[in-house]
Amino acid sequence: MKQTLMGNEAIAWGIVHANIQMVSGYPGTPSSEILKTVQKIQSDLKLDMYVQWATNEKVGFEVAYAGAISGQRSCATMKQVGLNVASDALMSASYIGNKGAMLLVCADDPGFHSSQTEQDSRVFAKFARIPVFDPSTPQDAYDFVKLAVEVSELFETTTMLRPVMRVSHAREIIHMNSETNFTKTDNRFKRDIKRWAAVPRAGRLSQGYDQLKRIEDIARYNYERFLKPQLDDLKGGKLLIITSGTADGFVRETLDDLDLKSDILKVIMPYPLPVKELKKAFDKYEKIIVFEEPYPCVEEQIACEKVYGKNTGTVHKIDEMSKEGVLKALQNIGFYEGKNIYEAPKIDLGFEVPARPPALCPGCPHRDIYYSIMKVFKKSKSIYPSDIGCYTLALAQGAIDTVLCMGGSVAMASGFSIANPDKTVVATIGDGTFFHSGIPPLLNAIYQSHKFILVILDNSTVAMTGRQVTPERFHQAIDIKKIVEGCGIECLEHNYSHNMHENIDFFKEVKKKYEQNDTPTVVVVRQFCILDNPRAKEFVPNIYAKVDEDKCVACDQCTTIYKCPPMHYNEHGKIEIDPFLCAGCAGCLEVICPTGAFEIDKREK
Amino acid sequence: MKYQIVIAGFGGQGVVFLVKVLSICAGEKDIAFIGTENHGMSQRGGAVSCDIKIGDFKNPVIDKNQADMIIGLDKNESLRNLAYLKQDGIVIVNSDESYPDIPIKVVKADVNKKALNGELPIQGLNVYMLGVALKNEKNFPFTVEDVKKAIKKINPKLAEQNFEILEKAIKEN
Repeated sequence: MKQTLMGNEAIAWGIVHANIQMVSGYPGTPSSEILKTVQKIQSDLKLDMYVQWATNEKVGFEVAYAGAISGQRSCATMKQVGLNVASDALMSASYIGNKGAMLLVCADDPGFHSSQTEQDSRVFAKFARIPVFDPSTPQDAYDFVKLAVEVSELFETTTMLRPVMRVSHAREIIHMNSETNFTKTDNRFKRDIKRWAAVPRAGRLSQGYDQLKRIEDIARYNYERFLKPQLDDLKGGKLLIITSGTADGFVRETLDDLDLKSDILKVIMPYPLPVKELKKAFDKYEKIIVFEEPYPCVEEQIACEKVYGKNTGTVHKIDEMSKEGVLKALQNIGFYEGKNIYEAPKIDLGFEVPARPPALCPGCPHRDIYYSIMKVFKKSKSIYPSDIGCYTLALAQGAIDTVLCMGGSVAMASGFSIANPDKTVVATIGDGTFFHSGIPPLLNAIYQSHKFILVILDNSTVAMTGRQVTPERFHQAIDIKKIVEGCGIECLEHNYSHNMHENIDFFKEVKKKYEQNDTPTVVVVRQFCILDNPRAKEFVPNIYAKVDEDKCVACDQCTTIYKCPPMHYNEHGKIEIDPFLCAGCAGCLEVICPTGAFEIDKREK
Repeated sequence: MKYQIVIAGFGGQGVVFLVKVLSICAGEKDIAFIGTENHGMSQRGGAVSCDIKIGDFKNPVIDKNQADMIIGLDKNESLRNLAYLKQDGIVIVNSDESYPDIPIKVVKADVNKKALNGELPIQGLNVYMLGVALKNEKNFPFTVEDVKKAIKKINPKLAEQNFEILEKAIKEN
């Protein structure tokens, strides 16, 4: 059967068609649609599976891994930085192994489209000594899920599928199973304490030897099954191009565009590689060049005098793959001498096109809360650590000083308060991120009496990655306020108001409390996500704004520290509100404009 | 046939919807294609651009100097993506008369003005611009019927309303 699918949807179908019965993960771009789509398939076809978001990637991995140990096919999904969180479990699982398949889908983001690092999960797989598949297209991604499940069961090891953003978020026609005959096993956990609870030194040392042998066996399997059939067909010549993942498509298109011919070896399992056998194949060539992204994972395994790539400075070392990048590398290695066809003559527009950087949505309560925080805790007297989520976009308002990693704001607030006792530290974190990894650092801060303010922005959804449910939304017994109180301190609570002065008044109270407190002052602000329908409809007043041009003095206040996307200068040099973008939140009608130029737009919407 | 289209706009304008429509057009006719969409940081109001390559392609990204068409739902976003267009390519853009004079074929339609005048809801901007593209590019890889079929497949409830907008665009441009 053929279906037009996005890469992540193709992976989801692969999961269902591989009879994986437990799926657990944490959302993160570009991986989020995988689990969401499995949930949809499960609900449409009424399949008996466990498919749920976990509170973080480590929890997600561990839930799935226990399923795999019990002999049931299982899968954990996450983005590449999520693997950092799950890595403690992964490293150990790699020694212990599994019975049913343990598929780890980890989506990478070369080019930093929506991630704080460009790390290569294939290199992580190598570090953890587990096999990894690198799909180059959505079709590959669907097919490789099945291969990875096979390998995982055959060798009893966690096996990784590593799509990059241009696979996860690519779309094409997928050839897939015509029918979905989902079958699950009734395998159960079998006690084997020596294996499942192996301890240092003897137990783990022996598993370490097994791990080394296993990875050698998989390298041989990689050779026999995936590489040898290709190598047998290669002719030899001046250059052998080795590709992994999306690089394969970029290389083949570039060669077509430039009318060049070369042998290409597509590595579908970039770790572990049968290094000796591969190097033998190099005899037929003068030079070998490796195209992969983002790190030189294949290149480093096969490094020798003939091999060129990122480490030799032949291929670009950072940022996404492009055909222009391939062309330049082919120039660098002396395989192409023509001109750069991917360069158009620059058109001089006579002006700079204004950038449209990512911004908080019009009507997003985060904007008003950050505005209020800055109004009360002046920038010159405060430090604003923040965290990972939509609210990171308050950077555009100048309302954030640091962004490190999921949950990092809380412990950094501790550290800043110690290192900068003359400043008020106001940390912000979303509810999803607080549940993910914000609670242990809060406990730390309370028992060590660190003095700072923590504002938990509770919109009851993981908004940035597509509004997945948070634990409190799923199960109402879970409440942030009770969690904070359970840690032994008071939790101040505020309901976001579209009347700006109410938010500002609340933070004035927070400031007073902070001055009296010797422990963290924790605040939860109950908000909503403007895109979270139908919930948002209960909160948005539908009061639209316009500008009284006579009052506007072009002071830049609204375009710098409020920063709502509909606000821009018109040809008269006055602020104008784009009526199509205004969300009717009424947030700007109070306080924001020093001359009171914003007023209600009574036009019907 | 090979045809590469960049669709540019900002979050909330329905850029991704257009890629879905064109993907389904190709899928229904069993024409090979590969496309990509930028998810993540941009929610509402941030720049969004999507690529779709119709024909036998192997990676989803459109490189510079390669696109046959830019569909710009926003004037500035179309200008920002000009480097991806071939010199004999075409720009289909939602813009008023202020669009700069460039040595490339440009077809403008001022949909914002039409929406302000109540001629169509602003949510119809994307489908309207697709109509402008269908009308003005004889090499466009799909027909009006293909597009209608795809729109209906995505959302049968809104199909009639979208058809009206599509036909209005074809009539007016």
